[in-house]
Amino acid sequence: MRKFRSNWSQGDREGYHKRSGYQERAHTSHSSRERWTREEVVTSPLPKHAATSSLMATSVDFKTYVDQACRAAEEFVNIYYETMDKRRRALSRLYLEKATLIWNGNAVSGLDALNNFFDTLPSSEFQVNMLDCQPVHEQATQSQTTVLVVTSGTVKFDGNKQHYFNQNFLLTAQSTPNNTVWKIASDCFRFQDWASS
Amino acid sequence: TSQPSGHTMGHSDQVVRRRARCWDMYQRRFSSVSQPVNLGMHSSSHQQQDGDAAMQGAHVESPVRYTPYAISPSHRRGSFLKQDQTHVNMEREQKPSERRVEVNRPQETLGSWFKITIPFGIKYNEKWLLNLLQNKCSVSFIPVEFHYEKMNATFFVENASIASALKNVSGEIWDEDNEKISIFVCPDGIPDSVQRELKSEKGEQVKLAVNQQQALDIQKLPIYSDFMTCDTKRAPNPRKGVAASLNVHEDNIPKVMSSGEMDKWKGIEPGEKCVDRSPMCTTFLDNSNNINSILELFPKLLCLDGQQSSGPTPCGLEAHKRLPTCKGSFFGSEMLKNLVLQFLKQYYLTYDSGDRQGLLGAYHDEACFSLSISFNPGDSALSILFKYFKDNRNIKMLQNPYLRGQLLKHTKRDIVDFLSALPKTQHDLSSILVDMWYQTEWMLCFSVNGVFKEVEGQSQGSVLAFTRTFITTPGSNSSLCIVNDELFLRGTSHPRTQSALFALVPTSFSSSMPAFSQEQQKMMPS
Repeated sequence: MRKFRSNWSQGDREGYHKRSGYQERAHTSHSSRERWTREEVVTSPLPKHAATSSLMATSVDFKTYVDQACRAAEEFVNIYYETMDKRRRALSRLYLEKATLIWNGNAVSGLDALNNFFDTLPSSEFQVNMLDCQPVHEQATQSQTTVLVVTSGTVKFDGNKQHYFNQNFLLTAQSTPNNTVWKIASDCFRFQDWASS
Repeated sequence: TSQPSGHTMGHSDQVVRRRARCWDMYQRRFSSVSQPVNLGMHSSSHQQQDGDAAMQGAHVESPVRYTPYAISPSHRRGSFLKQDQTHVNMEREQKPSERRVEVNRPQETLGSWFKITIPFGIKYNEKWLLNLLQNKCSVSFIPVEFHYEKMNATFFVENASIASALKNVSGEIWDEDNEKISIFVCPDGIPDSVQRELKSEKGEQVKLAVNQQQALDIQKLPIYSDFMTCDTKRAPNPRKGVAASLNVHEDNIPKVMSSGEMDKWKGIEPGEKCVDRSPMCTTFLDNSNNINSILELFPKLLCLDGQQSSGPTPCGLEAHKRLPTCKGSFFGSEMLKNLVLQFLKQYYLTYDSGDRQGLLGAYHDEACFSLSISFNPGDSALSILFKYFKDNRNIKMLQNPYLRGQLLKHTKRDIVDFLSALPKTQHDLSSILVDMWYQTEWMLCFSVNGVFKEVEGQSQGSVLAFTRTFITTPGSNSSLCIVNDELFLRGTSHPRTQSALFALVPTSFSSSMPAFSQEQQKMMPS
């Protein structure tokens, strides 16, 4: 597991300077920082909850959640699509045990079903062109830290034509003192041209 | 048993007529595309006196001389078939010239082809049907590649206004059994003849493009499937647009329509499976009696159908792996479906009303909203999307944490102010696809896919496709309260978008649904 600097916000800024602002990667699954395979989505520990009963989070807290959501989303997307393309059997490990997937209108629920499903799906080549994310409001999650991840791009399944796709995830955080592990609670996938598939 | 003229049709006549029709249908089903035109039922055939099935239609339009009385009944069928083949040859000779006429078109008309489908059109004689359509249709049209596909009759026309005019004829014409004839219009599909012409010109260009993996809009290339590796696409599926919009999960025909809209759905049995199980048939079954009469005479039809391959078989290393069939909207339960559709109806009524301030009641005080867009070089919709560029939040491209924060709208006030500044829109709710993908006691998460039109501004009339993801919590009055809202936009210059406006169900929702009232806003959790 990777360790982040404890003062990760400082590290962030340095990281951003190193990378050019608008790099476009041909294949999203390649990450220049990675030297070993990962099967979990891990980020630095979450900030402690502000001790307040009011649901009006302060702007600092909110900004923190936004940043955290972005880091989780980026990390997640890199791992997810690489695993999907190159290590498909490990993919279900990124899901919670009772996670659900709606794949072009087909509902798949629970790890066993997910394993079966990913096994029967032909091999894939994903290219993600768009990524957006939001921290999910705690009222909906009962304070279980959750991030909405939205992606879009193209995918080519072996034996099929290329499709544009849209995909949404809900990631939930499982925190330990040293790090946060993110898992998929729910996944929604659609070809943009699903009707002709 | 023949009856003298002047008598009204008796039961035996009906049975015989039906059998003749079934025989014709059987022939159409299992013959080639270029069907003999003249050997089916004609609208005047109910006047005919002779009950013998083989002779029905013989009087009509047949250029080949046919002398039924000279031949014994057992041989008539033989002649019937021979005449069949003669006509097949003649038809074939006619077709190529017709095709050539259509093919000499500039390439700009690519994509303006429309596939016209008459469900259960196999019942009808081609000429009779086309005459009927032409008589009723306000615009004259040239049908291209008329043929029968499973149980339906289809042909192509090359023009949106023609397609629209034909669409208007739907339900305005009746067959000899006094059943309404429906017409469905699908804006996709290029006739084979046109494709072949184009192939020779475009073939090399396309190969190059595909190999270089340029960011072409694959959907715009009419013949891409020829160059990709084996396609598991099922053959006679309807493409995008109207047909796709009806291809909802069988539970999910919305109930929130007005009575006028419900009429259009009458007779449709969402769960009823057609003989060939193509989505088109499943949805458009209009009279189970017809199926019964076919099956009565040809019980093997089901088996034969089932054995037909549904498309090219996949090849490649993992031939045993297949993509699951893509399905329509997923709701999970009837109750949730109603809840979500109700919410969407109310939301978009306000959204399209011209004053989006009414949406304040729909959002949580601390809701989040962000917008993202996707476009491809060469996409003609680029200019339409331009106004959204500055608010595009794509964190794959955007590394600056400050901007990442700025582009996320926070608090309902900021969100509604932002939405109010966007162009006025008209959403086509009849063609939306909804995926309800997460549900707990406190959260309902769903994504809406559809199209909308900008109805003001420089891009007035432009159609965009969207995917909008809502995360909601239970609100007051069994409504939903939005806590997260993500709007993804993309251009679509594909004619599919025009189909959204050809939707069967009119989008004129009644305005009896109240907008989010001030009282409701006060009661919303804050």
